[in-house]
Amino acid sequence: MSGFFKAIGKWFSTFGEAVVHGDAFVKLSLLWMGAGYARRKQYIKALIMTVLEVAVIAFTFTFAVQYVSKFGTLGTVQMEKVFNMETMKSEFNDYDNSFQILLYSLISFVVWFAFIVIWMRNVVNVRRLQVEAELGHHINTFREDMRTYLDEKFHITLLTLPVLGIVIFTAIPILLLILVAFTNYDQNHMPPTSLFWWVGFDNFISLFGGGGLTSTFGYAFVRVLGWTLVWAFFATFTTYIGGILLSLLLNSSKTRLPKLWRTLFVVTIAVPQFVSLLLVRNFFSNGGIVNTICANIGLTGFLRNIGLISTSYIPFLSAPGWAHVMIILINIWIGVPYQMLIATGVLMNLPSDQLESARVDGASPFQIFRKITMPYMLFVTGPALVTDFVKNINNFNVIYLLTENVYTTTNQAMANSQAKEVDLLVTWLFRLTQDYYNYKMASVIGIMVFIICAVFTLFAFNKLISGDREEEYQ
Amino acid sequence: MTGSKKKQRGIFLHNLLIAALAIFWLIPIIWLVTTSFSAYSGMNTSTFFPQEWSLTHYKQLLFETDTVQQFPQWFMNTFIIACFTCVISTFFVLMVAYATSVMRFPMRKPLMNMAVILNLFPGMLAMIAVYFTLKSFNLTNSYAGLIMVYSASSGLGYLIAKGFFDTVPRALCESARIDGCNEARIFTNIIIPMSRPIIVYTVISSFLTPWMDFVYAKMILNAGISSKYTVAIGLYKMLDKSLINSYFTIFCCGGVIVSIPISILFMIMQKFYVEGITGGAVKG
Amino acid sequence: MKLKKALAVALAAGMTMSCAMCVSADELETISLTVWGAEEDQDLLGELASGFAETYAEYANFDIQIGVESESTAKDTILTDVEAAADVFAFPDDQLNALVSAGALLNLEEYDEMLQAYAGTSLETIKSENVEGSVDAASIDGSLYAFPRAADNGYFLYYNASVLSEEDVASWDSLLAAAAEAGGKVGMVLNSGWYNASFFYGAGFTTGLNDDGTTTIDWNGTSEDGYTGVQVTQAMLEIAANEAFMAIADGDTSNQIASGDLVAVVSGTWDAEACQTAFGDGYAATKLPTYTIGEDQVQQGSVSGYKYVGANGYSENSGWAVLLAAYMTSESSQEEYFTQRQSGPSNIAVASSDAVLENVAQAALAEQSAYGQVQRVGDKYWDPTATFGENIAQGTLAVDDEAAIQEALDTLVEGVTAAIE
Repeated sequence: MSGFFKAIGKWFSTFGEAVVHGDAFVKLSLLWMGAGYARRKQYIKALIMTVLEVAVIAFTFTFAVQYVSKFGTLGTVQMEKVFNMETMKSEFNDYDNSFQILLYSLISFVVWFAFIVIWMRNVVNVRRLQVEAELGHHINTFREDMRTYLDEKFHITLLTLPVLGIVIFTAIPILLLILVAFTNYDQNHMPPTSLFWWVGFDNFISLFGGGGLTSTFGYAFVRVLGWTLVWAFFATFTTYIGGILLSLLLNSSKTRLPKLWRTLFVVTIAVPQFVSLLLVRNFFSNGGIVNTICANIGLTGFLRNIGLISTSYIPFLSAPGWAHVMIILINIWIGVPYQMLIATGVLMNLPSDQLESARVDGASPFQIFRKITMPYMLFVTGPALVTDFVKNINNFNVIYLLTENVYTTTNQAMANSQAKEVDLLVTWLFRLTQDYYNYKMASVIGIMVFIICAVFTLFAFNKLISGDREEEYQ
Repeated sequence: MTGSKKKQRGIFLHNLLIAALAIFWLIPIIWLVTTSFSAYSGMNTSTFFPQEWSLTHYKQLLFETDTVQQFPQWFMNTFIIACFTCVISTFFVLMVAYATSVMRFPMRKPLMNMAVILNLFPGMLAMIAVYFTLKSFNLTNSYAGLIMVYSASSGLGYLIAKGFFDTVPRALCESARIDGCNEARIFTNIIIPMSRPIIVYTVISSFLTPWMDFVYAKMILNAGISSKYTVAIGLYKMLDKSLINSYFTIFCCGGVIVSIPISILFMIMQKFYVEGITGGAVKG
Repeated sequence: MKLKKALAVALAAGMTMSCAMCVSADELETISLTVWGAEEDQDLLGELASGFAETYAEYANFDIQIGVESESTAKDTILTDVEAAADVFAFPDDQLNALVSAGALLNLEEYDEMLQAYAGTSLETIKSENVEGSVDAASIDGSLYAFPRAADNGYFLYYNASVLSEEDVASWDSLLAAAAEAGGKVGMVLNSGWYNASFFYGAGFTTGLNDDGTTTIDWNGTSEDGYTGVQVTQAMLEIAANEAFMAIADGDTSNQIASGDLVAVVSGTWDAEACQTAFGDGYAATKLPTYTIGEDQVQQGSVSGYKYVGANGYSENSGWAVLLAAYMTSESSQEEYFTQRQSGPSNIAVASSDAVLENVAQAALAEQSAYGQVQRVGDKYWDPTATFGENIAQGTLAVDDEAAIQEALDTLVEGVTAAIE
């Protein structure tokens, strides 16, 4: 953390130094970004910088200003329209769209931020040019400059496009939805027909019982959070351990045709999840084939007699408890083959001398597993375990495909907040946006999910996995 | 004598256990395949195997398209999207991985930390914003938009590839640098040729994304034009309340046909998957 | 008033003629429109669209794209992005309020003049041609927001007449007894507020919608007819606990019909074909049975819903969109809908035609409609009522525990009436 602030401090001090000590052209670069380059006869660079500057200015005045100026209010002009019979078209007034204002303002801020960084960097660069010119060093030609982008500055060439993609398709959307958490964007305030506006921390206050929501929202949140964590824990560890055991089983010297078996297991994950999960869901539905078979062999009647079920079918995916267990089991079904593949790879690298000496010492297979195999696996795949846990907290597919439109909660308090016992925070969030257009609360939940994941990751990386192992191996 | 007999029995039981597990694992898949050969078009809930076998639904799926199902068209659409996604994603992933693994520059650590933070946000949250971002570029209901959604952020998934690149001996790069190679040459001429497993892994896994995803596709291809769907949404919509009874078997046929190429790719990939992923994992 | 209208028509006619003349000199303008309808209706929609393009060929060329959006999910897709939604779309009555408040539907009163000028009809004529309920359910503050297309969005009882007699299906008690004897089951969806409300409506309870989108509901009190919500719930629990009753999961009805275990089922016209196949010669339908509260037999109510075609509030060519919507719901189009899709017409003339009257399902629907009502509720209605129904289906409430039932009803009411956020 302190390193981060130090870097920022250094960045500003270099910039300040460049401005103070720079010559007239360096100072002029503050206004005309091409000035410093032009002075050093780097005309193409000067041209590029000028064009960039003009483009950003044009962007600011033709595009950004009209949205950013409304950023404080998120728009004030309501939509109105009249029908013009002559053209057979509707004529709209020049109305404000709060969401568009939010989005375009954010894009403008990002562009400006990037521009300011380039602008400061530019001054530092031309100052360096000035110093080098004064020292009589060689000044790079444009061609030479370009060549550095294939050499010591190759990372810039490599990273520009991917980073741009991430900024546009991941960073900006996330920032946008973080902003939405501070507005009242919901079903009663849906653009383009209605406007929404800033409400500060109201949504967070109402999540923690500050009123303004159904009285059960906080209750539902705690329940859903609880199941999310239970799910993430079991989903991660059952598949992890199952994967190791299966790979030990398959890679044992006793196994005949290990390749064939492995292939068979992998087939289950090769079927796209939406096919296999939707299928399994129908397989286990209340009137589905498994229930028919259970009823025929008398299992359903037996369970009814001992009081485990009160219905004429086994509610595999439609009653709490049953559904929770089934979801974890089905997840084992699709998750174990993946983990088996990974474990197979890792175990191949298991130091064989250790195994050998353990065997010579007369250790039982179980002891070997506990004392050698597991610690090694944990050491190697520890970080992956942490990321898997976070991934499972956000595991939308499994829960959504298995329970959407099938599971009806019997808990009225949950239902009053549109939650179900089997919901993860993400599926609840998804339903709130898709069916109830409650974007503001969905964003708040999303931020909570992030905080939970972040805290967990920080904790896990600090406690479970000590030190930065990256350089160790290089 | 008895010892070897006991051993043999052990082997037998061992393999029996594996076989039992494999069968257990394959039951739903077997159900999928057998149901697809059913003559009945709705869901069969009374017997495991279809009462009457037939190929009509495969015929219908492949040759008799109607307004609901246009599988061959969907297959083509998805294939095109998958090809573009795969090329772009692979480039992005390899580029980011090389920059973060082999090169050293001041912004490296902060960028990697940013990537970790971004990965912690639930992707679902960003979906609606992604949609409106695309819409403002007029890219909704277009394959270009969908390709961008699948591939633009792929750089975030660089860790496995980076882990693999980390295993390439640094001395190789150093000696190349001394020989006057620039970074671009090292990347294309040294690192890439050595990275076959991870490239195959990246290519296949990004190729598979469009076949698997239905959430984004449903959101972005929202004009309801059936011929523009991808396989995933097309099949998903067949299970709509009003359609499931007449299209369930066709859904199964579609599931089988999609799974065949994917399975083959998976078979190829699994070897590289193991090499790639563990190469990364072992070496940090 | 009359004069004004006549003048307007003349003016409009003159204008269109002059316009038609001015464009006919050059190329005709091409108008692009998109239409959303159910998967099953796609072929018919195509026919109607080309019929429309032919009818109005003198004014413009039409490029009409037809997309799939199931009526039951129309609202979800449209509200996600109103501007990207189709110009003309089909939807059921319970989505109307949400669509109007999101600005997704045009106020058709503004288009009356245009209809008179182009389509040779008027809003008033259209309103008078369709059954009153369908017009009322699409009107807010006296303005019509969508054209009625079908009046079949309700449910009744299908039964197998070779197993059950007409007397058997008169009440739930006799129906379940006869079904048990025959070794069959009677199916009904309980975990949906659309179906389970039928018991409460029958006993005189109501639901309603406020201007702010919140729902009113009185099920935890005493109804006009003097029954309490607890009594109704007890009656439902008795039925659900019967061995011959099968609580079908929402959306699973047609599957269960096809499985062949059912001898009677509560469903709507969309399952007519499935029931015909399953029951064969015994295929029959009638109004819902009565159920028992104490000494009384209470006629089970129902939701009589309608289906509409509306024009998008953000449609660019809104005039043409309205004309297309009107065309798709005209008398002749509704006739097509009936013949091709067995959809029950809202148009009075079509509804009283012999073909419709003779149709088993339509006749039962008409019979039940005397006890039906339009269900106007907000979004918060659905989850709590689904859960309430699921509790009854699973038998988690005990019949004799009145306090618990009352508490469940109170919780239900609290959830349904919660503010929209």
